[in-house]
Amino acid sequence: MTTPVHLTMDQLLALRDGDRSEPAFATAARHLDSCATCRAELEALHQRTARLRALATMAPAADQFPAIRTRLHWEQSRRRRIISFTGMAAAAALVIGFVGSDLVAPPTLDAEDQIAASISRSQALEQTLHTWGPDDRVMDGRMAMVVIELEDRIADVDARLQDVARLQRKERMPHEASLWQERVGLMNALVDVHLTKANNVDL
Amino acid sequence: MTTKVLTMDAMTLPDADAVIARAKRGDPVALEQVYRAYSTPAYNLARRICRTTEDAEDVLQETFFEVCRSIRNYRGDGSLWGWIRTITSSKALMRLRRNKYRDTDELVDDIAPARSSSPALKMDLENALDRLTDTARAVVWLHDVEGFTHEEIATQMGKTTSFSKSQLARAHARLRVWLGEESRS
Repeated sequence: MTTPVHLTMDQLLALRDGDRSEPAFATAARHLDSCATCRAELEALHQRTARLRALATMAPAADQFPAIRTRLHWEQSRRRRIISFTGMAAAAALVIGFVGSDLVAPPTLDAEDQIAASISRSQALEQTLHTWGPDDRVMDGRMAMVVIELEDRIADVDARLQDVARLQRKERMPHEASLWQERVGLMNALVDVHLTKANNVDL
Repeated sequence: MTTKVLTMDAMTLPDADAVIARAKRGDPVALEQVYRAYSTPAYNLARRICRTTEDAEDVLQETFFEVCRSIRNYRGDGSLWGWIRTITSSKALMRLRRNKYRDTDELVDDIAPARSSSPALKMDLENALDRLTDTARAVVWLHDVEGFTHEEIATQMGKTTSFSKSQLARAHARLRVWLGEESRS
């Protein structure tokens, strides 16, 4: 007595899905006409699929939209900040280069050095943040709020830097040096917030 | 074979065209409407692919962050839900790869649960689904429930169409045994 040969799961799935690219699809369809066992298997497959589709829908426990909105806001303010920073750093470097070659301003030389060092440090921190890629990271609501506050404070410093740029050089240098130092401090904090969180979750 | 057409846009997002147009202009109210309309099905899809609720919630946030940033690129060729669904599955599969779960393509062999009455049967199906490897479970869900084609699944997984088909066949063979549905010797 020989064991009857039944359809494989691949063939049953091809029949269920009407997938004629499956080899021997026509043979499998003919076999189905004469085999009650395989017809029962195909029916069971249909029912299993229907039950899969009828499984309960799972809903998220937490509303993610506030965090998404925060990330969007943060991303936009960050873009504005980078554009603003790039312009200010270039302008400041030009001024320092021009004045530095003049050698007639000993009272502001320290301030110029400080500004140049702070700009360089700011650029390095911006690069660190860019390399780490905060835009592609999920963040919780509390962290997002800290990030936004720091971003807002950096934006405020940038606005004040633009304001003092209108002052006369002698008056401007000490203010600029102080503001650039403040900016470096805030950027340090921003990088710390991102990287500390990353280290905590072992990303 | 084409992806199953879903009419979820009309069901879940009244006045979808106007909302999408406003969302494309960055209107935060419209973006929130899109989130409210599709966050549950997107989460459900993510949760069916990911092992944990935490991962699924991260995928949900990543998905809608991407949706909000990129909706201006949505051309409207297919349904909005179809577009969001593809982003969700892509993010969820990425999460699976990143987490490097025990994804060895070997199905977990175990004793099949006993037959039971209909309400409990669904629990059994949940358990059986959960027993599949991450890859097999993802293929079953994406193909049989979400309506992705094997070609689409293969593209998202970076595998071949044959791989997707064989994963589905092996998964169903296992589910059949675990659910006690063997009718032939």
